[in-house]
Amino acid sequence: MSYERYRSGGLGLKTGIALALGVFAVWSLAPIVWMVMTSFMRQRALIVRPPDFSPASFTLANVTKIIGESDMLWQGILNSAAVALLSTAIALALGAPAAYALARLRLPKAGAISFLILATQMLPGIAVAIPLFLIISRIGMIDHIVTLALVYLTFNLPIVIWILRGFFLSIPDSIEKAAAVDGAGVVQTFVHIILPISRPPLAAAAIFAFVEAWNEFFFALILTRRSVQTVPLVISQFQGQYQTAFGQMMAAALISVLPVILLAIVFRNHIIRGFADGMSKG
Amino acid sequence: MFVAPALLVLALMLGYPILQSWWLSFQRVQLQAGRASETWTGLDNYIRLFADATFLQAAANSALFCLVEVVLVTLIALAVALLLNHPLGRGGIWKIMLIIPWAIAPVAHGVLWKWILNSNYGILNGLLMQLGVIDSYQVWLGSPVSAMAFLLLVDIWKSVPFIALLLLAGLQRIPQSLYRAAYMDGARPGAAFRHITLPQLRGAIAIAVILQTIWSLRVFDIIFVLTSGGPADATVMMNFMAYRTTFNFLDIGYGAAIANVIFIVTVLLAIIYIRLLQPREPGAAK
Amino acid sequence: MPQIELRNVGKSFGTFIVCHDINLVIREGEFLTLLGTSGCGKTTTLNMLAGLEEISSGDLLLDGVRANHLAPTERDVAMVFQNYALYPHMTVARNIGFTLKMRGVSRDEITRRVTEVAQSLELGHLLDRLPSQLSGGQQQRVAIGRAIVRRPKIFLFDEPFSNLDATLRVRMRAEVKDLHRRLGVTSVFVTHDQEEALSISDRIAVMRGGVIEQVGTPEEIYLHPATSYVAGFIGNPQITLLSGRVQASSGQLSVVSGAAELPLPPDADVTPGQAIEFAVRPEQVQPDPKGHPATVTSVQPVGAATHVGVMTAFGPMVASLPRFARLNHGETITLGFEPAHMLLFDATTGRSVGRRPIPVRKERTGS
Repeated sequence: MSYERYRSGGLGLKTGIALALGVFAVWSLAPIVWMVMTSFMRQRALIVRPPDFSPASFTLANVTKIIGESDMLWQGILNSAAVALLSTAIALALGAPAAYALARLRLPKAGAISFLILATQMLPGIAVAIPLFLIISRIGMIDHIVTLALVYLTFNLPIVIWILRGFFLSIPDSIEKAAAVDGAGVVQTFVHIILPISRPPLAAAAIFAFVEAWNEFFFALILTRRSVQTVPLVISQFQGQYQTAFGQMMAAALISVLPVILLAIVFRNHIIRGFADGMSKG
Repeated sequence: MFVAPALLVLALMLGYPILQSWWLSFQRVQLQAGRASETWTGLDNYIRLFADATFLQAAANSALFCLVEVVLVTLIALAVALLLNHPLGRGGIWKIMLIIPWAIAPVAHGVLWKWILNSNYGILNGLLMQLGVIDSYQVWLGSPVSAMAFLLLVDIWKSVPFIALLLLAGLQRIPQSLYRAAYMDGARPGAAFRHITLPQLRGAIAIAVILQTIWSLRVFDIIFVLTSGGPADATVMMNFMAYRTTFNFLDIGYGAAIANVIFIVTVLLAIIYIRLLQPREPGAAK
Repeated sequence: MPQIELRNVGKSFGTFIVCHDINLVIREGEFLTLLGTSGCGKTTTLNMLAGLEEISSGDLLLDGVRANHLAPTERDVAMVFQNYALYPHMTVARNIGFTLKMRGVSRDEITRRVTEVAQSLELGHLLDRLPSQLSGGQQQRVAIGRAIVRRPKIFLFDEPFSNLDATLRVRMRAEVKDLHRRLGVTSVFVTHDQEEALSISDRIAVMRGGVIEQVGTPEEIYLHPATSYVAGFIGNPQITLLSGRVQASSGQLSVVSGAAELPLPPDADVTPGQAIEFAVRPEQVQPDPKGHPATVTSVQPVGAATHVGVMTAFGPMVASLPRFARLNHGETITLGFEPAHMLLFDATTGRSVGRRPIPVRKERTGS
C-alpha cells in the first residue's frame, strides 16, 4: 500500500467518502435551495399536495412585490445596516488598540484580562438583558439605533479583540523593534506598521461583527419598538402577518439574509482562519 | 492607554448589568405605569425556582436539549471535518457550504424551517408522503416529543458547520509527519485514526463540546419563531423562560433569578473552556 | 574618546539574570562582535545598546553621556535583524524610507537618499517590489539599506546572516565588511558563528552565561584565549582539553598527564602540584619523527587540510595535517609540537596560566 493510498484510502473508501460528501451537500443545501425555490413560486403551486414544480409555477412576482411594496423590509434592512455598521466601527476602533495592547505591550495581567474578555463573549444575553432594559428605558433610549449598536458591543468587542489579539501575537516582534529603531513610537508603529499588515484579520473581525449584529434578534426584540426594527424582527413579524403567503415570506427572508451570506462567502477564508483559529488558540 | 476604552465599555455594558441582575433577583419587582417598585425579598426568588414545575420542566428541557445537541453536533461535525480533510473534500465549495448556515440569521432560518415543517403544505410532509414513509400530513411541531426533536434538528443543522470548522482547523494542525511515521511503523489507517488523529484532536474536541454547550444553553431565536415554547411548554427552556417571565409576565425579579442560573452554568463552562486553552498560553510573565 | 561604554551593565527578568556586570568599551569606528552560544546574553546586550530593552543595573554611556533611558531614536542607532524584520506591506523604497519619514524628512529628500542607498546596494531595480518578492540575499540588502539610509552613528547587527545559505553568508560577510570600511561607522555585531566573528571583526567579545569571558582582537582571542572556554569555543576543528598536574624536575617544569610527561614552556605561570588543563591548536601539531607516538582514530579530509584525531599516551588530540594525508585507522604515527604553543589553563578557575599575552600593537581605528 503506497503512502498516497494509505492517506486517501482505496477505491472503496473513496467511493464511500464521495457518497458521504454528497449526503453532506444535500443536507447543507436542501433547505436553502428550497428557500430560494419557494421565493420564485406562485402561491397556487405551493398550496397543492405535493407542490407543483412545472415551469408555469415559477414567477418573479414574490420578489418584485416584496422589493416594490414592503417598506417595512427596506426600513429593516436600513436599520440593520446602520446598527451593524455603527457597532462594527466602534468595535474595531476600540478593539484593535485593546487587542494590540493585550498582545504586545507587556501589560500586567494581560493574560487574565484577555481571558476575562473572551469569557464575556460567552455570556448569555439574558444575563444582562433585564438590567439593560430597565436602565435603557429609564434614560429613554429604547428604540434607538445607537442603543442597539452599543449593546451589540457586548458580544462584538470581545470577538474583535480575540481575533485580532491572536493575529498580533503571531507577528514577529522584530518588526516592532525595527520600527522602534526607525524612530516610530508606539502609536506610530501601530498606525503605520501593525494596522496595514493586519488587513486580513481586521476584515475577518469586521465581517464577523457585522454579521452577528445584522442577525441579532434577542436584544432587538427587547430594546426596540417601532422605529428601529431590524431585519430579524421584521422577518419574525412577517411570518405572523403573512402566515400563508409562503412565496413572499421566503422572498423576504431570502432578501434579508442575502447581504450577509454574500459577505460571508466572499470573505470565507478570512473568517474561517480568523475565528476557527481564534477560538481554539490561547 | 490602549485597553482602557474597551474595558470601560465592557464594564459598563456587562459588568454593571450583571451586578444589577443579582441585585434584582433578590427583590420582588413590580411594574406599574412604567415605574418599577422594588421590595427586598432575599432568596425568595431562588427558593421559588425549586418549587416551580415550569422551571423544573424548563431546566430538564435545557439539559436534554444540550445533551442531545452537543453529542450529535460533535459527532456529525467530526465526521464532516474528517470528510473535508480528505483530499476529495478540499475544494473551496465545501467551505462555502460551511459558511452559509453560519451567516443565515437564526430568525430567517427558523422561518424557513417553519415553512419546511408546515403541517398543510410543508415540503417535508410532501417528500415523506411521496416516499411512502407517512400516509398523512403530520403536525411536526404539534406533539411535545416531535417538537423537541425538530427543534434539535433545526439547531443542529445550524450548529454543525461551525463546530466542523473548529475541528477541521484542529485536524489541519496535526503534523503530516506523524502519519508518515505511523505508515512506516505499519499502522493500518484505522489504527492511525485511533492512535494519532483522536488523541491529537482531543483538545479541539473538548473545546468544541464546551462551546457548543454554552451555545445550546442560550438558544432562543429558533424557539421563539418555531414553537414559542409550545406545545404545552414542552419546548420551554431556561433562556426562553427567563425572557417570558420578565418581558411577558413582567415578573422581573424572578426572571433575573432564572437568568442568573444560566449565568452561573455558563461561567462554570467558560472556566473549563479557558482552562483548556490556557496550557498553550505562554502567560503574561513572558 | 570611547563611543560606547558599558559599565557594570546587568539585565535580569525577575530573579533570572541574563547579563551580569558587562564592562565593555567600544571605540569610534570599531567593528566589535559579541560572540557566544544561544542564551549567553549577547542579543540582550545588543538590545540594551539599541534601547529595545531596559538596562536593569549599571550604566550605558554614549559619547561619554549616560544613555540608559534614551529611546532608540535618541541614541542614533540603526539595526539589522535576524529575520530582516522588513515591513511586509511596504515596497523596498518605502521600507528603506520609513525611518526618514518618521523623522519628518521631506519627500524629495527621502526619494533622493533612498535612491542613492539603493544604488550602492544594487537594489535600484527592485525599489517597487514587496519584500515577499525578493530573494533572501536581496531582503538582507534591503535591511542593510534601511539601516544605512539614516547615516546613524552606530550600526547594530543581530545575527543578520543566520537565515542565509552558506555561500550567501560568506558573500554578505564580505559586503558588510566592505560597507564598514567605506562608511567607517561604529558597528556591533552579534553572532554565534566563531568563524564569522573571526573574519569580520576588529575585536571580539566572547560571552558565556551573561558574562564576558574575553575581549580582544581575533588574533588575541585565537592565539591567547583567556579561558579554557574561549579556547574550546574558538577554532575549527575544536581542540580537546587534556588535564594534568604540574611537576618540577631539575629546574624544568613539566605536566604529567596519563602515562606521559610533557615539558612546559619556561614562562608558564604555574606552580608545581597545580592541576591544569592544556591543549594545542591542531595546526600546531605536526608530524615529527622524534615526537609522541599517536594512534589514528579518525580521518576527516576537509579539502585544504585533513583533520586527524589521534590517541596519545596523554590523551586524545586533533592534528591538522596537509591535505589528503593518507592515513588508516589504527595506524600509529608520531606527532610533535612546541611547548611554547601549548595553551594552559588552571583546572579549577579555567583562567589562562600560559605565558602572558604579548602586548598588542597599538590598534588602528576603523581598519
